[in-house]
Amino acid sequence: MAAAMSSSCCASSLRLIPFKRTLFSSIHYPSKTLTLRPLKPSEIPSFRRTIITFQKISTGIVPPPSASSSPSSSGDLQPIEELPPKLQEIVKLFQSVQEPKAKYEQLLFYGKNLKPLDSQFKTRENKVEGCVSQVWVRAFFDEQRNVVYEADSDSLLTKGLAALLVQGLSGRPVPEILRISPDFALLLGLQQSLTPSRSNGFLNMLKLMQKKALHLEVKGVEDSTSESSFVSTPEIKDEASVPEVDSESKPGLVEDLGTEKIDDSDSGSNGVALGSRGMRIRERLEKELNPVELEVEDVSYQHAGHAAVRGSAGDDGETHFNLRIVSDAFQGKSLVKRHRLIYDLLQEELKSGLHALSIVAKTPAEV
Amino acid sequence: MEGVAMKLPSFPNAISIGHRSFSRVRCSSSLSVCSAAAASSATISTDSESVSLGHRVRKDFRILHQEVNGSKLVYLDSAATSQKPAAVLDALQNYYEFYNSNVHRGIHYLSAKATDEFELARKKVARFINASDSREIVFTRNATEAINLVAYSWGLSNLKPGDEVILTVAEHHSCIVPWQIVSQKTGAVLKFVTLNEDEVPDINKLRELISPKTKLVAVHHVSNVLASSLPIEEIVVWAHDVGAKVLVDACQSVPHMVVDVQKLNADFLVASSHKMCGPTGIGFLYGKSDLLHSMPPFLGGGEMISDVFLDHSTYAEPPSRFEAGTPAIGEAIALGAAVDYLSGIGMPKIHEYEVEIGKYLYEKLSSLPDVRIYGPRPSESVHRGALCSFNVEGLHPTDLATFLDQQHGVAIRSGHHCAQPLHRYLGVNASARASLYFYNTKDDVDAFIVALADTVSFFNSFK
Repeated sequence: MAAAMSSSCCASSLRLIPFKRTLFSSIHYPSKTLTLRPLKPSEIPSFRRTIITFQKISTGIVPPPSASSSPSSSGDLQPIEELPPKLQEIVKLFQSVQEPKAKYEQLLFYGKNLKPLDSQFKTRENKVEGCVSQVWVRAFFDEQRNVVYEADSDSLLTKGLAALLVQGLSGRPVPEILRISPDFALLLGLQQSLTPSRSNGFLNMLKLMQKKALHLEVKGVEDSTSESSFVSTPEIKDEASVPEVDSESKPGLVEDLGTEKIDDSDSGSNGVALGSRGMRIRERLEKELNPVELEVEDVSYQHAGHAAVRGSAGDDGETHFNLRIVSDAFQGKSLVKRHRLIYDLLQEELKSGLHALSIVAKTPAEV
Repeated sequence: MEGVAMKLPSFPNAISIGHRSFSRVRCSSSLSVCSAAAASSATISTDSESVSLGHRVRKDFRILHQEVNGSKLVYLDSAATSQKPAAVLDALQNYYEFYNSNVHRGIHYLSAKATDEFELARKKVARFINASDSREIVFTRNATEAINLVAYSWGLSNLKPGDEVILTVAEHHSCIVPWQIVSQKTGAVLKFVTLNEDEVPDINKLRELISPKTKLVAVHHVSNVLASSLPIEEIVVWAHDVGAKVLVDACQSVPHMVVDVQKLNADFLVASSHKMCGPTGIGFLYGKSDLLHSMPPFLGGGEMISDVFLDHSTYAEPPSRFEAGTPAIGEAIALGAAVDYLSGIGMPKIHEYEVEIGKYLYEKLSSLPDVRIYGPRPSESVHRGALCSFNVEGLHPTDLATFLDQQHGVAIRSGHHCAQPLHRYLGVNASARASLYFYNTKDDVDAFIVALADTVSFFNSFK
């Protein structure tokens, strides 16, 4: 389900409050806003207690107005000069080739020369969601913190489009990449639709590439050498600030995120043995909830870079856990109530250095 | 605009339904207008035998006469949705223009007329599939909703933990997902019949799977990917022997051949209007009378009630019980017009024609190198539906479909055709599919094959 979310709502805006420097400026698309507001020092929450608020807010994609009107009204399109230089060249090349068939030949030629993607990178994380063909995109930083892309596809046309994007966007800094609007596709003359839909491989590819660039930037704040995908674990809001009123609508998002992120960390973690806190958590939950299924996973290592975690009072740095509990005790409880129940049970741990939990709480019938 | 009424003794049926040519002239009389269609009528008046059904009916489908991307449109995606003849469009327009009104409620003239036409459409559908009573037809939004209706209404109240529902791996998602949802809620178990070496669901395995635990067998009549058909009559006999019900997904059969629900003796049957020359937004569920009477409502609201109090309500008799809220009135009436149109040509004739062009398509397609067509090979005993899902070695179906569209105006479908489990079973991610309907001709098939050959050679030159 999380995958479906990312395909239909690709322009997810991520509201993240970093604890160190703020490096984001507002970035605007025509009629589409990906806003990252720089934080004033007073807004940075204290990290003694817990928890970083992490909300994935899906913004519906609003196509640029030029998409619905005639494509020849280039006055409404993003000016070509704003595109990265290599991409400008590519657009001009396609514009100079008049005949549609020759354009396709050109596209396939690009695709043929695309460096193949190593199969270890053809992961779910790197996949452009959509049902028609398979496309994978990988992104990492070079020494100058420019984004480098690699991509592959089993469809030749999509591979060509991927190659275009890879050539056009690689080696550029993040803000420039984020500024690109998909308008330029119209200029290519490939009759590329800009309608956001699951069959629009091109649009979805561009979105994923921009999302990955953004993730790299954000992650770079914590750890600038790693090249893997975004692994920040969503953490549940501090009890006091959970709004009861709209609790029914949010839990869906949080739960999905929890599931998605657990998948990520599953691929990364290799069964870290539970330390004393982990064992205590397990015992408590087993005793009180009588679960049908219980998984307690220590993912503290993923947050080892946190300034807040270092030097905290936690035992052996056991600060972040993923929990998956299937129990009848959750019957009839809303998601927020389930999480509260778990929180209540783990009060002691939370007071003594447990920072955050990522929780999946289901009843046996829901599994 | 006046024209010449041509008396063409060979095709009284075809003309008398008020086929229009290119103008939307409302003919309240039975005068047939064939003005701009003079050219095609001239062809008709000569040798009736040499002009195929496809050529004859094309004039009724204005949408087919256009160019896309600089080439003539060749529409080969009727399995996804069919095109509508002018008669159906006129009926819809007529409704809104002359007697639009809410049904079953009002007393006034317009409302009475709308109700009459709506219920007449129901009768037409009932007659079309030979249901014994028009009250056995429940109008839904589409076949998917009809299956969900059975799943939620019949399924939730009849399935217990351990009960079994038998499906095949070739089912459309609409006949898999609702059962998954309902089996999760009830504890019932889903069993899937796999394919045999002819790439058809294995009937012997199906028979073996049927046991006293079986409560429902839900299968397609004709597969939208494999083009194979299942022996529903036999399946119903086996299922009824153990007290199980049978639901038939007839989306790919009702539009293309004679379907007789009494002969099949199915308990439930679903179909979509938009695949049989009717508008989108309407479909129907056929259910045996006593079965429908035993089922609780699906959606709640107006129309489906008898009396409403604050703390409880009583419900109407079927079919109203399952038709909450204002129905798609105009659409139902237009579906009735589609039924009239098809009946006017005659379903046996349509089926015969489709067997012919379907075979032609299969032969031409399989003569191309590196083409792999899914489903059974046609033979004396095996009749395929008029569609072919296929893959070309080393090429992605999306590439094929894109190029065919952009360079040749040929419209086919690529993807999993709402049958992901089937594709997984066949070991492919996606396939291309060309599907025909009675308004396609051998010329369409020829154009497709030429275009496909060109497409394949184009892509192969880049490998």
